[in-house]
Amino acid sequence: MNQNAKRTGAQALVESLAKAGTEVLFGYPGGQALDIFNCLTDAKFPFVLGRHEQGCVHMADGYARSTGKPGVCLVTSGPGATNTITGLATANIDGIPLIVITGQVPMSLIGTDAFQEADTTGVARGVSKHCFLVQSADEIPEIVAEAFYIATHGKPGPVVIDIPKNCQQALTSAQYPERVSLRAYHPESAATSAQMNRLAKLINEAERPVIYAGGGVIASGAAKDVATLAHRAGIPVATTLMGLGSFDERDPLSLRMAGMHGTPAANWAMNDADLIIALGVRFSDRVTGKISKYAPKARIVHVDCDPASIGKNVSVALGIVADVKDVLTTVLSRVKSATHPEWTSKIDGWKKSHPVTWSQMHPNVIMPQAVMEAIDKATGGRAVMVTDVGQHQMWAAQHFRYSIPRHFLTSGGMGTMGFGIPAAIGAAIARPDHKTVAVCGDGGAQMTFEEVVVAVEHKLPVTFVVINNGCLGMVRQWQELFYGKNYSGSILTVRGRAANERLEQDLKYDYLPDFVKLAEAHGAEAYRVIDPAKLDATIARAVRSKKTTVVEVIVEPRANVYPMIPAGKPVSEMVFK
Amino acid sequence: MNEQIYRLNCYVENKPGVLARIVGLISGRGYNIQTLNVGPTEDGTVSRMKIDILGTEKVVEQIILQLRNQVNVIEVTSRRM
Repeated sequence: MNQNAKRTGAQALVESLAKAGTEVLFGYPGGQALDIFNCLTDAKFPFVLGRHEQGCVHMADGYARSTGKPGVCLVTSGPGATNTITGLATANIDGIPLIVITGQVPMSLIGTDAFQEADTTGVARGVSKHCFLVQSADEIPEIVAEAFYIATHGKPGPVVIDIPKNCQQALTSAQYPERVSLRAYHPESAATSAQMNRLAKLINEAERPVIYAGGGVIASGAAKDVATLAHRAGIPVATTLMGLGSFDERDPLSLRMAGMHGTPAANWAMNDADLIIALGVRFSDRVTGKISKYAPKARIVHVDCDPASIGKNVSVALGIVADVKDVLTTVLSRVKSATHPEWTSKIDGWKKSHPVTWSQMHPNVIMPQAVMEAIDKATGGRAVMVTDVGQHQMWAAQHFRYSIPRHFLTSGGMGTMGFGIPAAIGAAIARPDHKTVAVCGDGGAQMTFEEVVVAVEHKLPVTFVVINNGCLGMVRQWQELFYGKNYSGSILTVRGRAANERLEQDLKYDYLPDFVKLAEAHGAEAYRVIDPAKLDATIARAVRSKKTTVVEVIVEPRANVYPMIPAGKPVSEMVFK
Repeated sequence: MNEQIYRLNCYVENKPGVLARIVGLISGRGYNIQTLNVGPTEDGTVSRMKIDILGTEKVVEQIILQLRNQVNVIEVTSRRM
């Protein structure tokens, strides 16, 4: 192309997105984005039309979580932009790279309360890594390049580009830059040789070491290096929720997930350890519990790419701001081959005496945990598991054995209900070579069910499993355990509601919607299972289908997630039932 | 948990939205800015912000680390007043 040829800002945007590596764009149109939409029909990448802007961002997020590449999303101004806020916050706290492009009213109208005007960068600032407000068409190619750089360097995160309509229409000859150089943002940081020696020394001298692996291990592509270190130095590995898949849970050294609903072995090992090697974790309150009682015997080494994350929640003996993979590949040569038979046999004892297990509460009612085991069986543990948020999320974490990075996609930090369905669609578009299964509760499924049509339209063989217990299970569980069984606002069936929400009981249905009819109305193949004897066969059939399938599983509403360390309590107060 | 006044000295890129991001980062944690002074430096593309906040050492350290993570923040130093 002639270097001086002019095209509109919108054309420059679409061209720049392609140059930045966009493979697919998710979005929803509107007045202030029309100039961009007008050029999309000539774009080098396909467009996926969601049904709600929140769904579009979660789709881009699912794409990003399953590939590690930035997910890209385009929406209009005002309500289009504000509908992305939940998705931005979800990606921001979990460190997921996204580019969210929002249309904006023309610059001449900004600040006039124009139709569909919102201060998008003002609203998005607190829930994104960075925001750009474009001031001229000439800036667009450079801003796109910078946005992709910022989204993927340092701790990844979502970047918003707000583009006033006049900048979309103005002509520009500005070209996509060959390299990005940001004056103030230089997140690359490497460990010093002294830090490496100290880390190796701590590992070589430890008697009861534990590796504690988080989402940063997956983001950095360091899962193999974690396994190499663990096997060479005989170190058991616990993961965070976000770290599931970073270490094979079938490996004898795996402690599986730590934290509030983690395994007793993982929590007791951290509690007893003399060294915790924390890799790409945040030490969330959901893991540490009572902070003053967390890992009382351990020296903590914290490796993370985010300097603000080190020492934020726990004091550390050694903090290393660097890429996890770089640290592990360097330290490996300095780590001696070792085993810790006394330590690992103690841990094996805990695994045997306190496995994460469940028991049938009523012979004719399906236990939700059994659904996760059925999915594990039907997919050979190789599905990309996407969850929504709540009890089923924890059961999915506990009762499916993860072994592959980027195969467990969940809203960890934000706990965003409604994440599961659209994120699974983004993941299925990104990874057509893998079976994607989304597990949702009946509450979360109703928040973004409209996106199921997107899966149907694109003929995605996703299986959406709705774990229907007729209530908001995790809320109900907390009310049962900590609020005197006062089930305020958490019961979705007509029967069983609190006095102030009482409904007439002569309704035709005790509980709406009928998920099978709802799924069929969206064009999906649908199944309902009530009988425990038919669970495995139905799940297997849905998973094998080449179509988009929805399986509604009616489950035991009284089931709770155990083990549980109540919020803010130490490991010693873990409850098992 | 001793609260004291800290003066943060921030050199930032002179771009729209930078002040809002910095102020938001501090106020969003429930901390009140006591004094705020923003002005140009000799280099017209760089602004200097002097921000006085009342907080504990741990919180102020955390705020500084978060400020340094911001894309438009060039340098942050602090001293106890």
